[in-house]
Amino acid sequence: MTIALAEGHDSRTRRSARANRRRRWGASAYTVPGWLLLSAMFALPIGVGIYLSFRSDKIGSVVAGKNVGLNNYRREIGAGTFREALETTLIIAGLGIVIQLPAGFGLAAILHRNLRGTRVFRSVLLLPMLLTPVAVGLMWRFMFDTDLGVINWLLDTVHLSRINWLGDRPSAIIAVVLVDSWQSIPFVMLLCLAGLAGLPTSPIEAAQVEGATPFQIFRHVTVPLLRPVLLVVILIRLIDVLKIFDIIFILTRGGPGKATQTVGILTYNTGFSFLETGRAASLGVALTVLTLPVYLLWSRATKRTR
Amino acid sequence: MSVQGSRSGRIATYGILGVVTLIALFPVFWTVSTSIKTTRDSVANPPKFFDFAATTKNYRNLFDKQEFTRVVKTTVLITGASTLLCVAAGALMAYALARYRQFPGRRPLEAGLVVVRAIPGIVLMVPLYQIVSRLHLYDKVWVMVVIYAAVNLPFSVWLMTSFIEQIPVELEEAARTEGAGPFSILSRVVFPLAVPGLAATMIFVALLAWNEFLIPVLLGGNNTKTLPVYISGFVSNRNLDWGPMAAASCLAIVPIALLTIAMQRRLVSGLSNGALKD
Repeated sequence: MTIALAEGHDSRTRRSARANRRRRWGASAYTVPGWLLLSAMFALPIGVGIYLSFRSDKIGSVVAGKNVGLNNYRREIGAGTFREALETTLIIAGLGIVIQLPAGFGLAAILHRNLRGTRVFRSVLLLPMLLTPVAVGLMWRFMFDTDLGVINWLLDTVHLSRINWLGDRPSAIIAVVLVDSWQSIPFVMLLCLAGLAGLPTSPIEAAQVEGATPFQIFRHVTVPLLRPVLLVVILIRLIDVLKIFDIIFILTRGGPGKATQTVGILTYNTGFSFLETGRAASLGVALTVLTLPVYLLWSRATKRTR
Repeated sequence: MSVQGSRSGRIATYGILGVVTLIALFPVFWTVSTSIKTTRDSVANPPKFFDFAATTKNYRNLFDKQEFTRVVKTTVLITGASTLLCVAAGALMAYALARYRQFPGRRPLEAGLVVVRAIPGIVLMVPLYQIVSRLHLYDKVWVMVVIYAAVNLPFSVWLMTSFIEQIPVELEEAARTEGAGPFSILSRVVFPLAVPGLAATMIFVALLAWNEFLIPVLLGGNNTKTLPVYISGFVSNRNLDWGPMAAASCLAIVPIALLTIAMQRRLVSGLSNGALKD
């Protein structure tokens, strides 16, 4: 703020206007190294990816790829596989949000009350989100094991039947959602905590003065005030499920069959198992287009929370 | 909030926190305990939670292999170098974003950072694989370093921006009136004051780099094999050997767990700053 005011003031004289312009270009200069990284890693691959999506290149093929127009798109996007993968992705995202949002928000609400001795939980409960996803996937794979897993042992001891967790579509999807939730509930909790800490206290105090119960305050004051933060949480989670890779790769590799094959895993399988670069590129373009609406909503939502 | 609740409410709260903590920590405990069990104990039914004879065999087996020590070294090297690059480029960008309301390229930059955060990594990997192999850059450590740094750039920029915004701007203005140039303002005024923020950012970026899997598994070979790639190698074996797998996983996650304990409060504020980008 102070800078903007100072700039407005300065620009009255021509000399400082020039100095001002120089300063602004100076500011752009600070961003040059970052821009270089971004263009090498993102602009270039995105361009090459779009180019490849119209070609028939394959990894390791002796025959050079040629232009095939929209064939890749017609073949991949039109195929049932893509629709199934999209459906799987949305199921995982939907189930995940239904679990993660209430759990994360609930925990944040509890920790926000700052009861004695609860401070330590703030950092302890964050641990899962920081751990190496590959290691997390393996840990859970071991625990989900049908014969040796500690989860089925637990089911046994409470006299429930064992589940072949990673062997059937419904249970494999649930397993993926559970592991994803285990890792991302801390993240949701963290964002909700930050949101709660940033709330103005006056509406809550006003409600208290008027004799509202804690539940009424929560329901009618806190939640509506937090709506922008909750929206950001949902959007970030959506983006992250569209990106999800490590956990599924380790837990199921998209299996059994195609049961847990998300669009991301499908892209991987097409490009790096079947080595169909061109087709994988067209899937990648489709996946990016899918993230666009979420991205637009997100940048609008974060602008509002600022 | 004045809502301290009734006694029973408080007990319920502690109860919930206890159960949640158990769920959050059990897989970690289970990995650690599996890593110090013999093969027979690790697959015992009913599972052995505490009543087993601890062994260091799994760890010894890991370190006996030359490959494993090389993998750890590579991971540390790539993590360290990419973190330095990422935070250096990120700090400069963050300074521009924090201190100048308008400058040429600000809008595209902000949009670009969000796109980069949103785009699924696998989408980039298909073309990147082609680029990297055509240019004969496959399996090169420095290529990994650059790619890692770029991928983690948005996070480091958002985090650093919020830290730099907290530094009073008056100090820089004072230095400027005394004739300090942009470079000495940055190196003598801004960055020294931003050291806590820089350190926190470095730790988070290092964490992301340490955990990275997609990039090294697809664009790297033996020279650039990192710990997550090594760990994932245990999956492809038909009969999984849980002991060594748990030991390798432990070596990946124990540093993180120690870090979490050491950082405590800064962790909470730092991470939420980066995520809500405010």
